[in-house]
Amino acid sequence: MENNSKVATSLQTFLIETGELSYFTARFFKELFNPPFELKEFLRQCYNMGNRSLLLVSVTGFIIGLVFTLQSRPTLEEFGAVSWMPSMVSISIIREIGPIITALICAGRIGSGIGAELGSMRVTEQIDAMEVSGTNPYKYLVVTRILATTVMLPILVFFGDAIAIFGSAMVENIKGNVSFLLYFNQVFDSLQFSDLIPTTFKTFFFGFAIGLVGCYKGYNCKKGTAGVGLAANSAVVYTSMLLFIIDFIAVFVTNIFYG
Amino acid sequence: MEKTASQKIRLGVFVIIGLTLFVLAVYFIGNKQQMFGKTEQLTAVFNNVAGLQLGNNVRYSGINVGTVRGIEIVNDSTINVEMQIDKSVFSHIKKNAVATIGSDGLVGSVIINIIPGKGIAAPVVPGDFIRSNNRVRTDDMLNTLNVTNQNAARLTADLLKITNDIHHGKGTIGLLLRDSVMAKDLKETIHNLKITSQKTSQTMDNLNRQIAGLDNKDNVIGVLKDTVVGNKIRHVVTNLDSSSQEITKVVANLNATITNIKEGKGALNYLSNDPKLVKQIDSTMTNINQASKKLNENLEALKSNFLFRGYFKKQEKAKKKAAAKQ
Repeated sequence: MENNSKVATSLQTFLIETGELSYFTARFFKELFNPPFELKEFLRQCYNMGNRSLLLVSVTGFIIGLVFTLQSRPTLEEFGAVSWMPSMVSISIIREIGPIITALICAGRIGSGIGAELGSMRVTEQIDAMEVSGTNPYKYLVVTRILATTVMLPILVFFGDAIAIFGSAMVENIKGNVSFLLYFNQVFDSLQFSDLIPTTFKTFFFGFAIGLVGCYKGYNCKKGTAGVGLAANSAVVYTSMLLFIIDFIAVFVTNIFYG
Repeated sequence: MEKTASQKIRLGVFVIIGLTLFVLAVYFIGNKQQMFGKTEQLTAVFNNVAGLQLGNNVRYSGINVGTVRGIEIVNDSTINVEMQIDKSVFSHIKKNAVATIGSDGLVGSVIINIIPGKGIAAPVVPGDFIRSNNRVRTDDMLNTLNVTNQNAARLTADLLKITNDIHHGKGTIGLLLRDSVMAKDLKETIHNLKITSQKTSQTMDNLNRQIAGLDNKDNVIGVLKDTVVGNKIRHVVTNLDSSSQEITKVVANLNATITNIKEGKGALNYLSNDPKLVKQIDSTMTNINQASKKLNENLEALKSNFLFRGYFKKQEKAKKKAAAKQ
């Protein structure tokens, strides 16, 4: 009986959160097209989320490409298919590994940052102060951040993909004596627009999800300072889950259009 | 303010590099699919495209020259495949070129191979149709393999029957394998053959030795093989040849002389053929003998005559002087 009430409460909480998130999303689209446009704040957020994540994304991408190639090489060698390495690595990085790894890193760095920042602003009543002073805090804090993550994440993914493929090419150059020219030639030989375009669209949704969940958790932070940590933590957890769900839907939709 | 401007520049660089990467990726992928070059359409007709998809590569003599841009079913046995081919290649593709569906490597994606035709033909023009050879499909191969399997099964069944028969001594081979008398005979034959071969070998050795001995100069053939002797023999033969020619001439002359004699021309014929003359000659000869005897007597008488004695003494003295000088 007690278990049932717990499940019911959890379900109720989940439904409420989903409803609130939907309202939050709807409000974003409503505020997005209403002036004034906070361009300066948007650019500042772009810089914070894009430029400042570049090093992390680059290092991660390079290591992913490097490790992926090193781990795949023995198996491919066993089948005498090392020449398939460029196409295998490029397709898997461009289609899946690059976007999802970059998005997860950004969810950890940017999502938690937004959650903690907005959460602390909420508990210190800075958001309330903005409302009192006549500034639209949602427009200034939320719209700019969500928009910045949505725009910056695809660019970070391009960087991540390029550096990961470069890492893979470096391994092949050292271990397999494959020239960079031949490697990149084979990479672009195997890639098609059906690999690049859907994945680029997907990353916009990834960025949107990271910004949205981070802002939602931070903007609706409660329970004082403890809530700030909770907001940051739950922002990362929910964003990560949401990223995989979006990824699944994206693959599903891509398969419908590109077979 | 300065910090904000710096941030903006960095952000601008970041965005521009990111977008450049994207544009480069789009360009290279598009370039590989012949999207930015000048291309024209070429169509091939197949009855089965074996999983060909839009965007698959088209190769001419192994070089990527275009992509598949359209696959259209015309009727139940005709599929038109439209290909976008690099315009610069059109001058090399002749109207008798053949399109085939293949795969890129053993497990690679499906591609169209355009194979140059044999002989001379005009180059294709945009919108042309080219001939095609349909790929051997896996199910066709499996069907053939099925027939082969059935044949193999029949063959093995027959082979089993034959081996059983052989095992039970039926037929010539069975008899050969199972008959102990024949085996014994065969064994003896082989033994005899072995002895024969040994003797043949010995004979051959002897023959070889004798042939080798012919080179020595202690026999006629060895001498004949000597080059000096050979030259001499050649010389003798040449002389003999010239002598025989001379003899032939002499014989011919003799024949002519004898013919003349026989035909009654000259004194000899008269001498040989007239018996009266012979008798006359015989009597003449007798008379000459008698006359010579008498002449000798007369000469002896002359030597004694004082008129001629001095002459004969002078002659005897001269003879003695000549003998003393010698």
